Amino acid sequence: MQRKKYLLTVILLMTVTVNSQTDWVRWEKSDVSYQIKDNYLDREYDLSIKSASDIIVKPVINAYWFFISDVDGANCPFQPSCSSFLVQSIRETNPFQGVVMFFDRFTRDTNVFGRDEHYPKYGKRHFYDPITLYTLDTNKIKFIPANTFINE
Amino acid sequence: MKTKIFLILIVVCSSIYSQRIDFNLPQNIKLFADFLFCEKDYLRAIEEYGKYLEVIDNDTVKFKIALSYSLMNDQLNALQEFSSANNSSTFYEQSSIEILKSLYLLKYDSTFYVFGNDLINSKSQFSTNAQKLLNTSIFLTEKGLPDKNIFFKPFESEEKLFLEKFYDQKLNPPYKSETAAGIFSAIIPGSGKIYTEDYGDGITAFILSGLLTYLAYTNFEHNHPTRAWIFTALGAGFYAGNVYGSIASAQIFNAKVNFDFENGIRLFLEDKDYFSPTYDFCK
Repeated sequence: MQRKKYLLTVILLMTVTVNSQTDWVRWEKSDVSYQIKDNYLDREYDLSIKSASDIIVKPVINAYWFFISDVDGANCPFQPSCSSFLVQSIRETNPFQGVVMFFDRFTRDTNVFGRDEHYPKYGKRHFYDPITLYTLDTNKIKFIPANTFINE
Repeated sequence: MKTKIFLILIVVCSSIYSQRIDFNLPQNIKLFADFLFCEKDYLRAIEEYGKYLEVIDNDTVKFKIALSYSLMNDQLNALQEFSSANNSSTFYEQSSIEILKSLYLLKYDSTFYVFGNDLINSKSQFSTNAQKLLNTSIFLTEKGLPDKNIFFKPFESEEKLFLEKFYDQKLNPPYKSETAAGIFSAIIPGSGKIYTEDYGDGITAFILSGLLTYLAYTNFEHNHPTRAWIFTALGAGFYAGNVYGSIASAQIFNAKVNFDFENGIRLFLEDKDYFSPTYDFCK
């Protein structure tokens, strides 16, 4: 009788242990961040080759982002930033046209006058200047008036 | 005993003088629906009008249901409701012009023009309104404009005055030539952008190209070939970018011209409520 009691107790304890809750993660304190996500800083650091030009451009741009841009801060006034503009324009067109588009963008970046009256706004402090306006394909141009707030 | 009589009297009097409004009577439902309609609570007004129509058939109520949909910009339902009005309806002609408005807003282009022309030829009291809407809509299509006198015939002088500039602009849009912008910038860097009214960018392109060319020239002059070639490459890049950017700038300028034109026409039509008549249902 006494043995049976022990056996029953052991079985009970084992069952409790086996079926007990092990997934405590959901009850643990979570580290929620209430910081507003800044899409502007989302970088495509991957080295996936989407076009032949990516073999040269992506490592150079990634190195620029990693060693200079991210350390220096998001200082480009445009969305997409000039470096992202270069990557996107080369992917959208070809290496030669993409580089020429980048030089044109850099000229616009250098000009600090009349931006408010010229570009739509992106977020709090960036001007929206997508590559679709500059591919020379009129079907891709979707004019957005200045002072419009873009929320992509 | 006296107390009992007194209480009975109170109960009897209360029953006699109690409110006897039956809110489910059709006329009361209609009154409530009219109130909702005038308060611009169109969705609930449609529901109440629907209840009313279950009991009594009424052209005005049917028209008000369609109008409610139209005022909520639910043009698909509005079109369906307006189309249900038959020849004998009091609001047949009003429904026709409202159908035209819905067809326009739904962008049913071919049906819009066929129905519009039928309405004009029907000589209804709203033929002029239909003609106005049809003519104004031509501005937003690729169709050629008719002669000025024919085009402006249905319009009143104030409308004509406003639309005349759009008529002229449609015939001669103030576009900037992409080729000219490119050539200008090739001759004098930045001048193409100044031509397309991007003055700041034009001046910047001129300074950047000029400065880099000057730096390349002086470095070659003073036997610093490495620096000279770097500045030459950069200068060539900015120069090519300036020519390319001027062409792109002309394209963006033209897109802005189109945008402003179409926006102006749309605002005019909205202001005129697409030439649909005004109704005095909420006096």
